Amino acid sequence: MTQTEIPGTSTTTSVRVVDCDVHPTPRRGALMEFLDPKIAREAKLKGQGAENGLYYDPPDYHHSKAMRVDAFPDDGEFACSDPTLAFQQLVLDSGSDLIMLGPTSGGMGDTDEEVTAMAAATNLWQDAAWLNREDNWHGRFYGSICANITEPERAALEIEHWAGHEKFKQVLIHAEPRPSWGHPKYDPIWAAAVKHNIPVACHLGRGKHNLLPMSPVGFMTYNHDFMVTYSMLAANQVMSLIFDGVFERFPTLQIVFIEHAFSWILPLMWRMDSIHAARGNETGLSKEPSQYVRDNIWFTTQPLDYPEDKLELTRAFEWMQADKMMLFSSDYPHWTFDEPRWLAKHIPDQMRDAVMYQNALDLFGLPSQVPALPGQVKAF
Amino acid sequence: MTNSELAHGREHVVATVDEIPPGEHKVVPIGRYGVGVYNVRGSFYAIANYCPHEGGPLCVGRTRGTNVADESRPGGARETREGEFIYCPWHQWGFELATGTTAVKPEWSIRTYPVRIDGHQVVITA
Amino acid sequence: MTIESIQTEAGAGLRIDASAHVFFASDAELREYLGEPWASRGFPTPDVTHSLQLGNRYVHGSQPRPDAHAGSDPEFVGKVLFDEKGFDLAILHPMTVGVLPDWHLESAIHEATNRMLVERWLDSGTYADRFLGTIRVNPNDIDSAVREIHRWSGHPKIVQIGLPMQTQSPYGRPHYKPLWRAAIEAGLPIAIHNEMGQGITHPPTPNGITRTYQQLVGFQPLNFVYHLMNMIAEGVFEEFPELKIVFADGAIDMLTPMIWRMDTFGRPHLEQTPWSPKMPSDYLPGHVWFVNGALDGPGEVDFASEWLRMTGKEDMLMFGSSYPDWQTATIESLPSGWTAEQQEKVLWRNAAELYGIRVPANV
Repeated sequence: MTQTEIPGTSTTTSVRVVDCDVHPTPRRGALMEFLDPKIAREAKLKGQGAENGLYYDPPDYHHSKAMRVDAFPDDGEFACSDPTLAFQQLVLDSGSDLIMLGPTSGGMGDTDEEVTAMAAATNLWQDAAWLNREDNWHGRFYGSICANITEPERAALEIEHWAGHEKFKQVLIHAEPRPSWGHPKYDPIWAAAVKHNIPVACHLGRGKHNLLPMSPVGFMTYNHDFMVTYSMLAANQVMSLIFDGVFERFPTLQIVFIEHAFSWILPLMWRMDSIHAARGNETGLSKEPSQYVRDNIWFTTQPLDYPEDKLELTRAFEWMQADKMMLFSSDYPHWTFDEPRWLAKHIPDQMRDAVMYQNALDLFGLPSQVPALPGQVKAF
Repeated sequence: MTNSELAHGREHVVATVDEIPPGEHKVVPIGRYGVGVYNVRGSFYAIANYCPHEGGPLCVGRTRGTNVADESRPGGARETREGEFIYCPWHQWGFELATGTTAVKPEWSIRTYPVRIDGHQVVITA
Repeated sequence: MTIESIQTEAGAGLRIDASAHVFFASDAELREYLGEPWASRGFPTPDVTHSLQLGNRYVHGSQPRPDAHAGSDPEFVGKVLFDEKGFDLAILHPMTVGVLPDWHLESAIHEATNRMLVERWLDSGTYADRFLGTIRVNPNDIDSAVREIHRWSGHPKIVQIGLPMQTQSPYGRPHYKPLWRAAIEAGLPIAIHNEMGQGITHPPTPNGITRTYQQLVGFQPLNFVYHLMNMIAEGVFEEFPELKIVFADGAIDMLTPMIWRMDTFGRPHLEQTPWSPKMPSDYLPGHVWFVNGALDGPGEVDFASEWLRMTGKEDMLMFGSSYPDWQTATIESLPSGWTAEQQEKVLWRNAAELYGIRVPANV
């Protein structure tokens, strides 16, 4: 791996924090030049007079826009639209050494065709506006290949297009579309990822109408009860991946659940193993279900949910063997941001290195040494 | 605000009363994170510019009231005690400016400092 | 309800089965109870291919006769639960045919089911003094549900109201309030259990239908999370402090991570829901119980007792066999690492307290 030389410095430092969930946002209109012309024209027309479409609103949404309020740059653009400010707040001020960018624009659109086009445009934009030599002079930013899960063949083509690019280190998809990921229709995506040895990560998507992700008992009422149920969606996808045999078909596939919380995987592993034992391996697996979780699935740390007695969280980390399945993430610039210094304190000592950086270095093939930056905060 | 920190544990003249009109605040460089001085309808309060939750810059947040259930109002809720709470710009945790506490979990409190008005001057002990 | 008639040596533990499933012997028997105009209508049976099981729906040997459904014969079930398995009492929970689009028909089926339960299981038979019952009501027909609760609330053997897990909208929504009022007036807890058969339900998982029974049975009981989170955020337990909810499908283990999630994420959201001003976990004690499921728990691990203590689960969990379902739980399979006190709580104390079962002082 070659690193961009920082003029005037020659010392290197060990990577201590890899942040696996950061959301760069295009400046207004910045995606248009990369967007399929037909889709771009339609998007302009559809956008005339159209403003906020959000429901299930986070606290004080009208003012905060669901962001860390101090992450908005002074130029009036959106939070995390300025690579320099993001570098300042995340890398220098909070101590994240390497940043995995996961732009949400790559999953937007009102139709399957639009989402596919937006994914492609977002990838070109990431390359041009964040991963380029000027804005990524420090070499700390890495990108995600956005791919539209609802059009698996075209998603596979998008993966093929970018795989091997030295700065794109994961595929980014959504989890809420139906059917679940175990359906063979998605196999082209897993096949492309496995072929290029690139992990597939999933961030929170939002479908329309009853494709939100939808609760099986009807619509939740508030952002509070709605958002927490993304964990349920992830639990369901974990069971689909395992029981539908995706890891039998693609034994090296690596899946990363971003921002779906994680402590639920502990009881879910017990539950899957119980079902597997009680039904007598009707699904023809070669391992216990919990073993696939350890071998093939990763969870990011944010949101870190904790009980009144934080010792219980420590115990949960130990019981689930968190050092075998967790990756640090901040979710910058979203309002649910977890500070690396705060997060690191919650990880048991013997697991901290693995969770904060080592697992991510190994999983994504990132450099363990980077040029030192004067004035950078040390997270732990 | 200047870069030089003021000394700890004594009285500081931080502003004139006119400098911080009702509903406004000023962050002054006391301590590691600075102190925010707030004027709520003529009463002055001072808090550390630091959220005890994850360390967010508290004084970047918005002040507003707190919401209570009220069946007589449309939607069954109303805002009360407008402007008396600071909400963290990161996670929107709210704290009462006067006491630094929160009704939900009083043990999660922010640091507050005594404020007095001396003539036209706002004086805090920090 | 007292169980002073039961022979119990001083100090010996009682065993309450908090959930055994009751069925009509056949579709024909249900139609007899229904009468016209409902008897000539079309509706599913409790067992449908839709549930994806590759056989083994019920425990081996649970059919009383070749032409009778498992769980349909009070004498047969009583013999198994009390004489063979050694329970002292069992709370019966009737299963029906699905959440039907025609709510009139659905309510009629519930009424027939309740009549059958009371006539055949609670008011007659060798084991009538050992059975307690759950009446089923239709949440899509609130008026008749309230009437049905009032009708049976005076019956000394009715200890619970049953609702389906599968709903059009979660149980926090305001249109269910008359149900909660009626339950409190009747002094009865509400048990929520997955309905059998099939009908107008949303897909069983957020990603639609499943391709394996494993994923389906893995997920469906977890749906309690949606109801619970919604009921907390909607302030149901604030408005109805006496309301008691039993999640009767197991999966209590999911409570711990999900209430951590609900609390942590909920802290700043409380400003949006002033009708539910406390931390979500504060609403659990005294409001929420679970029936133990055969697929639950960490198994034989050294932290089984610690895990049961977390989130106060030891005060919410009640052993239930779910007999005659294939997932019939046995006391022998409970973790050996639980303390004696935890075992007592799960095997009878929590249920005795919830259902107001008075036990002799020497127990």
